[in-house]
Amino acid sequence: MRVFWKTVRDNRRGWIGWIVALTAIAAMYASFYPSINKPAMADALNSFPQSLKEAFHLEDYTRPENYFAASVFGLLVPILVAVFAISAGVRAIAGDEEAGTLDLIQAQPVRRISLALQRLLAIVTAMAVLAGVMCLAVIALRGPAGFTALSPGRLFAICLQLALFGMLFAALAYGVGAWTGRRVLAIAAGAAVAVLGYLANTFFTQIHSLKWTERLSPFDWYLGGEPLKHGVQWGHAGLLAGFALLFAAAGTWRYNRRDITV
Amino acid sequence: MADTPAIRTEALVKRYGRGGTTALTGLDLTVAPGEVFGFLGPNGAGKSTTIRILMDLIRPTSGTVRVLGADPRSAPEIRARIGYLAGEFVANGRQTGRELLTYLADLRGGVPAQQIERLASAWDLDLTKRIGSLSKGNRQKIGVIQAFMHRPPLLILDEPTSGLDPFLQQQFVALVREAAGNGQTVFMSSHVMGEVQQTCDRVGIIRAGSLVTIEHIDDLRKRALRKVEVHFDSDAPTLSAAGVSDVTVDGKVLRCKLSGDADALVKELARHHVVDLISEEPELEELFFTYYRHQEA
Repeated sequence: MRVFWKTVRDNRRGWIGWIVALTAIAAMYASFYPSINKPAMADALNSFPQSLKEAFHLEDYTRPENYFAASVFGLLVPILVAVFAISAGVRAIAGDEEAGTLDLIQAQPVRRISLALQRLLAIVTAMAVLAGVMCLAVIALRGPAGFTALSPGRLFAICLQLALFGMLFAALAYGVGAWTGRRVLAIAAGAAVAVLGYLANTFFTQIHSLKWTERLSPFDWYLGGEPLKHGVQWGHAGLLAGFALLFAAAGTWRYNRRDITV
Repeated sequence: MADTPAIRTEALVKRYGRGGTTALTGLDLTVAPGEVFGFLGPNGAGKSTTIRILMDLIRPTSGTVRVLGADPRSAPEIRARIGYLAGEFVANGRQTGRELLTYLADLRGGVPAQQIERLASAWDLDLTKRIGSLSKGNRQKIGVIQAFMHRPPLLILDEPTSGLDPFLQQQFVALVREAAGNGQTVFMSSHVMGEVQQTCDRVGIIRAGSLVTIEHIDDLRKRALRKVEVHFDSDAPTLSAAGVSDVTVDGKVLRCKLSGDADALVKELARHHVVDLISEEPELEELFFTYYRHQEA
């Protein structure tokens, strides 16, 4: 596990920064809840056109499960989690390889598969810690910000799906980077899936011929089953974890067989 | 198994990509344990490709490789017994020298801390500084230390002194000699003929992906041309003797090149009044140039 701990150590500053910033954003949105929970807000929302409300998943925000799905765990947080996951996943193999620093480490008595998986495991751990810290912070705000109607179990459910969502993007960027050894391809793959997935979950839902794409979006697998209302969506969780495993396995398989580029 | 070769390749072929360039066209190479082997050749001849295959960083298209008796691909644990140094030593610059060396030592199963300290002080290197803040030469020193610190039975060095100044190159030569004295095997590619002459037992010359020749350094030295300058008390005579070529006369001074035995030239000179006789150490470099060029023709 030396590679695992070295990866954690080398990335500790950046990763702690991401975790603190993302938790702060979630906590900030959560503590705004009392100012949303007013009749005037509900009236304002009702005046929006239906299609706009659907595109942005605007619902009755005075109910905490709706407000939290759209704000705390909606917009900014999953996008930033995806960015964090992609940047960490790219660096695991492709970034190190293009910097020329992978040669030295892979010239040590460490198997290719072991090195790659220990690094991926460190990133997966970072995603789990991020979701765990965020979960605890939001649960701690239930009383002070007046959303005790939202149970800790439901908050845990969405944080679990957020962690899996992050792991999916990390595994995608890792997998493409491990397969090709090229940073730019890994970033492009991660960004393309993030952007298309986001569009499929928002604007494409308004276009009848593209509505089917929503079911393929990682954003839908994360939030579409409304875990804040219905708890963990095991089917969606399985899709997130399954694709993460597929990308990780494919990238690792290829990395074990190919040349390391200079 | 004392006579298992430290390195052995048979019919090693490496093609990059589909229909890409062929870097090795059938390399047969055997390096005996305890020997210091110089691996020479022009840029792009396949030196680094060979070395990266030995380290299992790239995989051969065909042919067999054995390093310390094992296949590098299926036996990564042999790399604990290899010291590897690339000419362009690069490591993550955000860590200190000590952090990196400790990590590498751990991966290889441990190196006594005082061994690292000893080498660092011998090479006048501050291990508390971040690698990114070091000069190119100091970074290369870290590379040298990590290659030698665990006293590996086999050292694989790819143009190891390319970032070092002449003084450090000399220190490096001493380190290689010390390793050879301990019975460690050294496989070293190089462009610096001086260090090759000073360290290697045998040299192999690679051109366009296969070995052109393997020779003992002593045999090469015998065949190498040495420059001879003779000062006479009167106008220099024109002379010819076995092994002498490129004779030029400039007043009282005669310059020529000599290969092999000097006896015939000395006997010839003895018939004249010789004021001074200057003979340079034979330069293998020129011999290598003839090899490089010869093959090109």
